[in-house]
Amino acid sequence: MHEASIALSVLEIAVDNCRKAGYNRIESIRLKIGRASGIMIDALLFAFNAVKTDTIAAEASVIIDEIPVSGLCSSCGKDFVTEEKYVLCCPECSSTSFNIKTGRELEIIDMEVF
Amino acid sequence: MKVKVVTRILEANERIAAENRRLFDEARVYVINLMSAPGAGKTSLLEKTIKELSGKIKPAVIEGDIAGTADAERISSLGVPVIQINTGGACHLDANMINEVLGSLPLKETDLLFVENVGNLVCPAEFNIGEDMKVMLLSITEGDDKPLKYPLMFQESSALILNKIDLLPYTNASIEKIRKDAMSLNPSLKIFEVSCKTGKGIAEWTDWLTEKVKS
Ligand SMILES: Nc1nc2c(ncn2[C@@H]2O[C@H](COP(=O)(O)OP(=O)(O)OP(=O)(O)O)[C@@H](O)[C@H]2O)c(=O)[nH]1
Ligand SMILES: [Mg+2]
Ligand SMILES: [Zn+2]
Repeated sequence: MHEASIALSVLEIAVDNCRKAGYNRIESIRLKIGRASGIMIDALLFAFNAVKTDTIAAEASVIIDEIPVSGLCSSCGKDFVTEEKYVLCCPECSSTSFNIKTGRELEIIDMEVF
Repeated sequence: MKVKVVTRILEANERIAAENRRLFDEARVYVINLMSAPGAGKTSLLEKTIKELSGKIKPAVIEGDIAGTADAERISSLGVPVIQINTGGACHLDANMINEVLGSLPLKETDLLFVENVGNLVCPAEFNIGEDMKVMLLSITEGDDKPLKYPLMFQESSALILNKIDLLPYTNASIEKIRKDAMSLNPSLKIFEVSCKTGKGIAEWTDWLTEKVKS
């Protein structure tokens, strides 16, 4: 629901980094978004298209790497990856003691500038 | 040309939250970020809690709402310092909104600062504001399916207050199910059952809270 403020942060960070690198046009921005980050990708893209107008990112496209939820079970010792947004127990052995390793990411990885 | 960025998108928020944290520590204020769906009873819980702690702990309140000052007026009538933040549409409070009003609160004379977040079960849990702990309120009339539908807030909170238990006879909600699902999401969650109408369970909550604030 707060995709608009996330889109604004992405824009700010991207513009900042582009200028710091000595360029003034952003062609594309690559994001890493975990499935359990609470972000709806469609809503984020929509919001980004709204906030980018009249900025050096006006032509920029956003490329998203979606990261699934994964973890390591402390009972059976197995690594697991799931399609679910949330893990309640280890998919292998149903134990409830496990550590989540990925899925909450909300990061800018890199961008193409010119 | 490719530019490496590798920055957390919420990095700016985290930075300001850390700055708030520093200000809170300096003034020795314990801070609670109170979150729930609209109407679950956040302001009612604050009213009860403040009365119960009266004479023992000095509170202050930040009220976050999309619009209006009704909640701040309710708190102000108790003689407690209160600031209303209107987010003007935003679905949550963030660290910067808190930072901007801190100068208007008597932090040095405050033991416990409650921040009533915008009524919303999703977004507030994503944004740290520099709090000591997040407390979530769920009214039992919202249904016992909420933990599994909105897991993040249950996972991020230190305490869960099940409110409106006076209405239990009129709902089909199972407290047992809420407890079981919430604990499976967050095994260290502390759960209280209260009614802000009858006052049931409030003392247990305020005793626990007092211990946290004093320690
Ligand atoms: N029966 C009953 N009603 C309650 C209880 N707690 C709160 N209410 C009522 O629920 C309604 C909403 O309470 P508020 O305290 O304003 O809820 P809130 O979470 O602050 O609401 P927002 O700030 O608008 O999100 C009011 O009419 C309260 O009187 C309770 O324990 N039992
Ligand atoms: Mg309220
Ligand atoms: Zn296992």
